[in-house]
Amino acid sequence: MSIKLEKVVEQFYLNLEEGKIMGRKCPKCGNVEFPPVYACNACGNLETEWYEISGKAKMHSIVMPAALSSKPEYKNLGKFAYGEVELEEGTRLNAVVRGINKKKRTELQDQLPVNCHASIFQREGGFKTVVFDLDEA
Amino acid sequence: MNQTKINKYNRSVSIIGVGCTPFMYTVDNPETDGLTEGEMFGYAALKAMEDAGVNPQDVDYYFHGQASPLNGSNYLTPNIQIGNWFGMKGKGSIHHSEACCTGYLAIEQAVNAVASGKYNCVLTGAVEFGDSTPSPADSVETPKHPYKRDKMTMDKFLKTTSWLYDRTYTRSLMAGQELIYDDAAEWYVRTRGITAEQMNDTLNWMCINNRRNASVNPLAIERKTYESLAEEAGMTLDEYMNSAFNPRMGDFLRAGGIELKCDGAAAAIVCATEMIPQIAKNLKHKPIEVLGIGSAACEATTPHFEVRATEEAVRQVYELTGLTGEDLDLFYANDFIITSHLVSAEIAGYLPYGEGWKYICEGRTAWDGDRPINSNGGRTSFGHAHAASGLADMYECCKQIWGECGDHQVKIQPKTAMLRGYGGAQNVAAVVVRRIDD
Repeated sequence: MSIKLEKVVEQFYLNLEEGKIMGRKCPKCGNVEFPPVYACNACGNLETEWYEISGKAKMHSIVMPAALSSKPEYKNLGKFAYGEVELEEGTRLNAVVRGINKKKRTELQDQLPVNCHASIFQREGGFKTVVFDLDEA
Repeated sequence: MNQTKINKYNRSVSIIGVGCTPFMYTVDNPETDGLTEGEMFGYAALKAMEDAGVNPQDVDYYFHGQASPLNGSNYLTPNIQIGNWFGMKGKGSIHHSEACCTGYLAIEQAVNAVASGKYNCVLTGAVEFGDSTPSPADSVETPKHPYKRDKMTMDKFLKTTSWLYDRTYTRSLMAGQELIYDDAAEWYVRTRGITAEQMNDTLNWMCINNRRNASVNPLAIERKTYESLAEEAGMTLDEYMNSAFNPRMGDFLRAGGIELKCDGAAAAIVCATEMIPQIAKNLKHKPIEVLGIGSAACEATTPHFEVRATEEAVRQVYELTGLTGEDLDLFYANDFIITSHLVSAEIAGYLPYGEGWKYICEGRTAWDGDRPINSNGGRTSFGHAHAASGLADMYECCKQIWGECGDHQVKIQPKTAMLRGYGGAQNVAAVVVRRIDD
């Protein structure tokens, strides 16, 4: 490999259009960067390679949307929460997890972390993004 | 997460003078409506020089902070436009913006410049019109009036805050920018094992304490205590804090725990300690040395970004100085989301692990308590003029350390303090200062 001036962001979104959720894996330490970026934030390696994530994940925290923390367009998500999500590959990120309302949150709080999986979601701006769904929902 | 080891400065650097405007809604008051950037920054700068016993010719360079100069002032290079106002025409300067962390990193940059040896004495200041924009406020492209300003609505302000977040991924993923309001509260509840009701009480008591602090601070924007407001509404304090007067706006957060965005400016004079006798011949105070500044930044897709960045910044500065939270006499947290006040004080060890919420609910963190936090009133009562807030905290911190706060002088004379800067989705600074005694 060599360091390339590469359109990683565009490729990420084009892959979503094709149904693939891609991160970037460090060839040196195996860390997966998601969403994808050039370098490895775990070991400092200068390069990473495209890698299709499995989509399996766990949700570690739950925060419900409220007046300040929502937008009209998020209604398209149905019931959902925000939280810390850990991919099977070990990467952690803040993400939307669908299938959670206040009652469900109460049930889940003592069971954290709970299993979820990545899904591709159509945003209103003409592009797709990644959200997660509870496995049991 | 990546870690950094910070090293001692090449020479000791101290703060010797500070200045601050009242934090205010300039357009709401005929006496302040029409104030401009040069007038606001200039006032704070000249007050800092007067406080330090120096004049502009003693100052080698100035740093200028403003979070959103294009939106708030219709400027791209706001530093250049105002140097004449405080007698520094022709001197070098630089503008910087780190949103709500600007005023804390203003100290970082000034100290670095002096510690390196390049300059002996610098001014670091910040100004923000958080509550108004140049008139007409329709778009940044429209030609603007020389001094008239229009109120910035909360709706418009919240639209501009999206600019704080990564456009490529974070805004698209929809979570990072929304978790700023409640993530720290959820984290505290889950990791400390308290209930949601206890967190609600703690959030309310942070508001009450901040307001008590502001009520005795003439520079604060909102000085009516919650006790007074409750009495006027015919309610108990607890009823009022849990009523429609203080509505729930987040999963945990209530309206009283959100910043009061406003207009203001603040500045400090930063000098090589060894050069003070030559430069500040009319020095009024004992120098306050900047012992170290820890820094960390976590983009908003990072889980618990505030917590993680604060842990790292605090770790750095404690490793450098050998201090712990028990060595601190005073603590400031940029609490534009008031939960910051609790989590950062506990991470810094200023409040004991898992017990901080009790200190807050017992009033021990108010200005007259034994562990004061945000003695000026914090962002929810002193106000939040975004870039200027960190330097306003430094103003208050220095005045407290010098024993010059009059009616709101904290009860235990402080010598050592930490300021935990936070902002810009999200940048964190842990600034530790200590008075140099003879």
